[in-house]
Amino acid sequence: MRDFALWLATTSPSVFIQEHNAWTIPAIQSVHIVGIALVMGSVLMIDLRILGLAWADQTLRQTTRRFGPWLTGSLWLLLATGLLMVIGEPVRELVTFSFWLKMTLVAIGALVAVLFQRALRRHERQWEDTLVHRSSVKALAIVTFLTWACIIVLGRLIAYDHVWGSWSPAVGQ
Amino acid sequence: MTALLDWVQQTGLAVQIRDSLFAFPLLESVHVIGLAIVFGTVAIVDLRLLGLASLDRPFGRLAGDTLKWTLGGFVVAAVTGTLMFITNAAVYFHNVYFRAKVILLVLAALNALVFELTARRAVAEWDQAPSPPPLARAVATLSLVIWIGVIVTGRMIGFTATRAAATAPSPVETNFEDLLGLPAAGEPAQPSGKNPE
Repeated sequence: MRDFALWLATTSPSVFIQEHNAWTIPAIQSVHIVGIALVMGSVLMIDLRILGLAWADQTLRQTTRRFGPWLTGSLWLLLATGLLMVIGEPVRELVTFSFWLKMTLVAIGALVAVLFQRALRRHERQWEDTLVHRSSVKALAIVTFLTWACIIVLGRLIAYDHVWGSWSPAVGQ
Repeated sequence: MTALLDWVQQTGLAVQIRDSLFAFPLLESVHVIGLAIVFGTVAIVDLRLLGLASLDRPFGRLAGDTLKWTLGGFVVAAVTGTLMFITNAAVYFHNVYFRAKVILLVLAALNALVFELTARRAVAEWDQAPSPPPLARAVATLSLVIWIGVIVTGRMIGFTATRAAATAPSPVETNFEDLLGLPAAGEPAQPSGKNPE
C-alpha cells in the first residue's frame, strides 16, 4: 500500500493538487464537509422519523423519498471529493489505520442506506404498519446515526493517526 | 485583550487539552458532527424557503421539526469550538480566517433575526405556499452562502494557525505571527502566505 501511495503521489493529477495545495486541499475538504452535513442532515431526519420524533405527519415512505436521494447524492459527492483527497495526499490518507477503518464503516453505512431504501420500496405497507414501530428498527436507526458520527470522527483522525499507537502503519516510519 | 487571551490559554482546562493526545482531535471531530447537523438542518429549511424541496409540507411544521436540532448542533459546535479556541487563544484571535468566521456567524444571526422579524411574523399567509415571499427566499439564499462561508473559513483556520504544541515553552513569549508569516496585531491584514501544513 505504501508503494502504491508513493507511486500515486508521482502521477500528474496528484502533482497538480500538491503544487497548488494552498487552495486545492482546503477547497476539496470544504466541499467534503458540505457533503458530510447533507448526509448527516438526511440521516438524522430519516432516523428521527423512524423514532417518531419528527415528520410524524408524513409516512416513512414520504420522508425517505424526500431525503433518500439527497443522502445517496451526497455520498457520491463524498466519494468524488474523498478520491481527490486520496490522489492529492496518498501517503497521508492510505498509510493510516483511521482511513481503512473509516472505509469499512462507510461501506457498511452506505450498504444499510441502500438496502433500507430498497426494502421500503418493496414492502411499503409492512414497513409503515409494523416494522417502523418495532424497537429493533428504532435501535437500528440510532445505530446508523452513531455509525455516521463515528465515520466523521475517523475522518478527522486520519490527520492524527498516531492516537492508534502501534495499530497505525504511520507510527515508527 | 492580550492579557485576557494569555490568561485564557494558561487556564488549567486549556493546558489539559493541549497536553492530551486525544482531546484536541476529539474536539475537532465533535465540532464537525455539530456543524454537520447545523448545516444539514439549515439546508433543509432554506431549500423549503427557496421552493426547492419539501414543498408538500407547511413551513411552520418543517421548521418545528428541524430548527431545534439546528440549535442543538450549534451548541455542540460552539462548546467544542470554544474549547479549541482557548488552547491557543492568542494565535486564533489574530488569525484572519478566525475573524472572518466570527463575522460570518454574526451575519448568520442577523440574517435569521431579519427573517424572524419580517417574513416569519406573517407565516400564516404563506405557510402552505410552495414558493414563500421574496424576502424569505433572499434570507434563505444568504443563509446558505453565509454557512458555506463559515465552513470554508473554519477549515482555513486549521491550515493557517497551527495548534499549540503540548507543554509549549511559554507560548506568551513565542512570536507566532512571525512564525506563521501572519500579520501582527494592529497591522493591516496581508494576503496569507503559503500553507504551513
